[in-house]
This record gives sequence, C-alpha cells and structure tokens, in this order.
Amino acid sequence: MDVVWGKHLSSFAVGDVLAILEKQRDIAYTTVMTTVTRLYEKGILERERDGKRYIYSPKLTRAEFMESTAREVLDEAVGGHQAMVMLAEKVSEASAGELDDLEAIIQKRREELDA
Amino acid sequence: MIEATFPLLGTAFVVLIVLPTFALLAKAGLVMLERDEVGGPLHGLNLRYVLLTGSSVLPIAWLLSAGLHQAETAKSALACLLDHDTAELCFEPGFFALMLAVVVVASSIGVMRKHRGVRVSSTDAARTLLRRVARITSSDPVLASLRDRVVVTDDDGFALGTHGLLKPRVFVGTAFAARLSEEMLASALGHEAEHVRALDPLRYLILQLALAVNPFGRFLLEPHAVRWQAAREAHCDREAVILGAAPLPLADAIVRAARPGAREVVALGARDTAVLKFRIGMLLAFSERAPARCCHQGPSAFPVAFVLLLIALLLPHQTGTAALDALHTGAEHALTYFWR
Repeated sequence: MDVVWGKHLSSFAVGDVLAILEKQRDIAYTTVMTTVTRLYEKGILERERDGKRYIYSPKLTRAEFMESTAREVLDEAVGGHQAMVMLAEKVSEASAGELDDLEAIIQKRREELDA
Repeated sequence: MIEATFPLLGTAFVVLIVLPTFALLAKAGLVMLERDEVGGPLHGLNLRYVLLTGSSVLPIAWLLSAGLHQAETAKSALACLLDHDTAELCFEPGFFALMLAVVVVASSIGVMRKHRGVRVSSTDAARTLLRRVARITSSDPVLASLRDRVVVTDDDGFALGTHGLLKPRVFVGTAFAARLSEEMLASALGHEAEHVRALDPLRYLILQLALAVNPFGRFLLEPHAVRWQAAREAHCDREAVILGAAPLPLADAIVRAARPGAREVVALGARDTAVLKFRIGMLLAFSERAPARCCHQGPSAFPVAFVLLLIALLLPHQTGTAALDALHTGAEHALTYFWR
C-alpha cells in the first residue's frame, strides 16, 4: 500500500506494482500478486476485471486508512504511564529493527515528495 | 460501639466498594465513547479524561466535604476534631474525612516519588543548544509561546519532553538535539508547544493520582488511560502539523526519540511500538493531505473538571449528607451483625 499511496496509483495491475518494487529489490510476481489479492480480500483495494487481468484501485486514502485502523492500533497499546510527557517513549532493543523500518519509510516518503 | 468503627469501616467501604463502582460506571461510559465510530479515537479526549479522573476524584471530594460538613458544630472542623467534649456530635464523620484524606495522601506518595525532575544544565554545549533553540523559536510565530520556556539538559538518556505542573517547560537533551536537523527540532518543539499550552504534565499527573487512589478500580480504567494517553500524543502531533510543523521531520524526530541510549537498553522493558507506528503512519498521511482541526473536541477539560469538583464540594452543604449517614449507619450495623 505504501507503493500505491506513495506513487499515487489510482488504478493499477499487479505488474505495475511489480515494476516499481523490482527497482528496489528482487521480488517475484507471485509474491506481489498474493499480497495484492490479500489486500483486496481485506477490503483495502477494489478491483475490476480487464480481460485476463484485474485492475485494482485503493478504496481509501492513506489518511482514511490510518483513521479507520487507529482504534485497532490504539487498542493494542500496552505499558504503564510515565509521569513525564515525552516526545516518544523509548522502546527496547528488540524493537530497533522496527525503528529502522520506520525511518526507512519516512526517508522514502521524503525522497518521493522531493522528486 | 467504638468511635473508630465508622472512620475505619467507612473508609474501607469507600475504597473497596464505592470507588470501584464508580470506576465501573466510568468504564461503561468510556467503552461507549471509544466505540463511537463518528469521531474516531482522537475525538472526545476531554470527556474521556473527565470520566477517567472524575470517577475517583468526585466521589472522594463529595465524601470529604460531607464528612467535614457533618463535623461542623459551630466550630471549625479542625477544632471539632481536637475537642473531645463534642466528640459525640462530630468526631466520627470528621475522623472519617481525615482517614479518607490519609488514604488519598498515602496512595499519592508513590506517584509523586516517580515524578522526578530533570537536571538543567548550563555547560557550553547547553548554551549553544539554547541559542539554536532561540533562533528557531524567534523565527516561528507559533513557537513564540515557547520563548523562555525551553531549558536544556546534558542527561544522555533524555530526549525531549515537557515538565512542570503550572508553568511547564520544555526540556531538550543536548545529545538528542545534536541528532536532529533544524526542521526536525522545530517540528518536535511544535509538538511540545501543544503539551505546554494544554498543561499536559498536570493532566497526566492528576490522571495518575486518580488511578492511584482507586487501587481496586484502577484495573478497570488503566487500559482506557493508556489509550487516552496514546491518543493525546497523536493529538499533539496533529495540532503541531495544523499549526505549521512539517509532518515528516516530526515523524523522524519521534522515531529518533524512541531510540534508547546505549546505557538504557538493558534497563528498559519491552515497549509496544504499536502507538509509535500509528503516529508515524498518521504523519505520513498528513504529508499527503493536511489535517483539519478536529470539530468534536468539546469544552476544555480543566474548566469542566474545576466546575464539577466545585459542585462535588458544595453539594453536601446544599443538599444534605444523607448518603454519608447511610454509609455511617451501614458500617456500624455491619460490624454489629458480624460481631454477634
């Protein structure tokens, strides 16, 4: 979905997403197809048949998606309270990989906007 | 019947039955508010806060006021407490109010102990950072409210946060600020400016105190309090962006603030990153479409909470203290029944 929202793809085929992702890393057509199909099954994408292939389009903007999933995400929130008001609570070493991923996503988004 | 019966049993009844019952009622309200599909999880924050804190604070305020009101016998409550000649008239409700106050103070000590301050530094590095912050705040009209409200600490483990109850100040860690660009620091200060404007350190402290004085009801409210706090942080992100902070640099600063320093890694327990991901996702969305100010925020929490507290304190003096009488006789009858 990051590719779809980031590249502002209003309608696309699996091959379009594959072409973008292939520039970043090695990825199989079947992997992309499976992911796109799952997103459709979850109701995040809608699709129409176009001959032998499907044309997908996002049902929600990134903002709408965030709003719709926010409750679910906040429900997962655990942990205690801190007396101080911090910009962000520090996370454990185990989550360092997740922080790296978040930084990479932000960096990518900045590059897209700069481009 | 000994005179300590009602003060001891009544206080136990309040802690074991009354406060958990109010917590249960507040939970029902919170569940309904959080399920409200119209507003989303960032809406109704003030009302949720009033429910979270009011469920403990308001009953205690009413009971304390009612106890002192019953203790009044044309003398001050304190004189009545100390004057044993009038003990039959006013000793018990006055002592009950005193017992309740002792319980409140005792349960608050733990919270206040955790509320440690941050050391302010005046080293060369700190002065350089202060000049940098002054440049940023003077060039941005929105951040002008932070002028003279930003202090610096050399504490390596501290990133960025707001401290101070009535006159909050933003503390910036020198090591953390060195890792931020000007844009990131300005955006992060924009987030903290909203905490300062809303007196959030005071809000957070009152919330923790309200949960602490209700040891048997807090397990009902704690998940809602955690969600409220997470939503409040996200709300400050959104307000900062509405007022001009750049969403992506703010997202970057948040991720960097979440990284523990080398010496903290061992000490920190595992923290859920779900809220962090949500905030970053929200800011990514804001980079595509600017957010609008939320229209269902309701009245400000502090004036509403103050009025409610005033009503709770004055109510026993205006409408009587029948509920306290019922608690009083109930406690004594219960002891008589079990004593037989």
